[in-house]
Amino acid sequence: MPAITVDNLSKTYRYHRKAPGLRGSIAGLFRRQMLETQAVADVSFTVEAGEIVGFLGPNGAGKTTTLKMLCGLLYPSDGQARVLGFTPARREPAFLRQISLVMGQKTMLSWDLPAMETLLLHKEMYSISETDFQRNLKQLAEILEVTELLRVQVRKLSLGERMKMELLTSLIHRPALLFLDEPTIGLDVVSQQRVREFLRDVNREQGTTILLTSHYMDDIEVLCPRVLVIDHGRLHFDGALASLVERAAPYKVLSAVFAAPVPPAALATALGELEQRPTADPLRISLAVPREQVADVAGRVLRLGRVVDLSIEEVPVEEIIRAMFRAPGSIGARA
Amino acid sequence: MFWRMVIMNVMSTIEYRASFVIYMVNVVATPLISLLVWLTVSEQGVALPYDRSQFVTYYVLLSVVSMLTSTWLAPFVAQAIRLGGLSSHLLRPVPYIAHFAGNNLGEKIVKLPLLLPLVALVALFFRADLRLPTQPRDWLLFALALPLAAAVAFLLDFVIGSLAFWMQDVSGLVRLKNLVGALLAGQLVPLALFPPQAAGFLEAQPFRYTLSFPLELLTGSLTPEATARGFAWQVGYCVGLWACYRLLWRYGLRSYAATGA
Repeated sequence: MPAITVDNLSKTYRYHRKAPGLRGSIAGLFRRQMLETQAVADVSFTVEAGEIVGFLGPNGAGKTTTLKMLCGLLYPSDGQARVLGFTPARREPAFLRQISLVMGQKTMLSWDLPAMETLLLHKEMYSISETDFQRNLKQLAEILEVTELLRVQVRKLSLGERMKMELLTSLIHRPALLFLDEPTIGLDVVSQQRVREFLRDVNREQGTTILLTSHYMDDIEVLCPRVLVIDHGRLHFDGALASLVERAAPYKVLSAVFAAPVPPAALATALGELEQRPTADPLRISLAVPREQVADVAGRVLRLGRVVDLSIEEVPVEEIIRAMFRAPGSIGARA
Repeated sequence: MFWRMVIMNVMSTIEYRASFVIYMVNVVATPLISLLVWLTVSEQGVALPYDRSQFVTYYVLLSVVSMLTSTWLAPFVAQAIRLGGLSSHLLRPVPYIAHFAGNNLGEKIVKLPLLLPLVALVALFFRADLRLPTQPRDWLLFALALPLAAAVAFLLDFVIGSLAFWMQDVSGLVRLKNLVGALLAGQLVPLALFPPQAAGFLEAQPFRYTLSFPLELLTGSLTPEATARGFAWQVGYCVGLWACYRLLWRYGLRSYAATGA
């Protein structure tokens, strides 16, 4: 049985529009124009137990709304979700005991007390046995390197330290399914990397199914073999990150740095129709080259002048995604 | 599990020492001022339904009972609903209301030992006029009415805070409830001093059962029938408010938007 099955899930928010200014506010007292926005529209997918799946999409795309419906915080307006065999919106204790949601911008720790106190509370709330609790705590605290910080008041922790405590707290009951909403937001590069490695270990060693949203493409590249791309509430892509890249960017980026400037005319004749990408350095050129022409183009570039440096790389995933959201529908629906 | 929540709140409360010392003084000072006013009034020869010793007993006990039945959760519930802080609580396999029950009990456990010496001091000063019941039966009834009063006050507050599922701002409503509540609960003036025409209304309204009723049991101003009726009202309000809470949350969660996160 899949861990998550989503069928035509939709969520519509209702809100009212306020005309600008005081006059608008007063008018709003008497008559309100109710509007609806569809945050999630007809989304369907399944996730097998043990997978790590990344949710990609710009702000307001519907990622977080989908996540919230899957962990039972929001009632879907339409469609169905089954998570671990439960209907999330019913919020049955047996369901809640098996999931966890980490929100980069919200805390579940008690602000004035050391994290240890919240952990002890969770031990009782989730009925964790003493042996399991001690074992999980020791293991998680060691990997996250926070053993020393367990007794420090939460409000005295740095953002990175707090985030690690959030992760520890959310995993102390060994959930089968972990939802992460922007888990690395605001963290420095080193902490981001720690958190990523930690999540990968948790998935590998405990078979925890992980669903995460992130703005940081690195999170997705490192962690998620499979991605779901969502925009304007609709699912645009479901498949391997590699195939998304191939499909959206059937070219590689070739960059070269010359010892002396190359005359533009010579460049134009040698490169013909190839698209030049903007660079800050006048000695450097950067080209988008169709995959099958890479070797040939590299040869032509090397003959243009003395080349000090040459590289041929995949297009950064970030750029692909950005291009994709600028022109929705530019990639096929499903892999 | 619930005990752990209570302990956590005890610990959090102790973190804010200064604020609850000020609170304590407030809790004792306000009834003391009222008491002095009424004693002056009765010395002027105004005929009142309460005698000197009843006033003293009422106001000395008022500070303890009012602290033990107080609630302060409605604005927090409303804010959690409106700004989305509720989300992280909804993810736990424990109802949100338990969080506030733990907070309520935890803070009271800290406040009580600090309040009692202050009250004892006031009691010592007025010892000539203080008449506490001598029958164990009266104390037993009081011990029963007190937690019920705390429950009525707590549930009423929780229900009002829960209206934030539909209302943008419940703070006005909370202020109104606090003002009307203080008057109708007997916080400012004993309910016995209200005009006799209001007796029926005063008996039926919920605020009496959050404070005045246990105090009336201790000042010995109730007949056995009135006592029985009082308990019936109190239990009735508990059950009714609990039902309201369940209903509000069942429908409220459907419109909850989990803003922010």
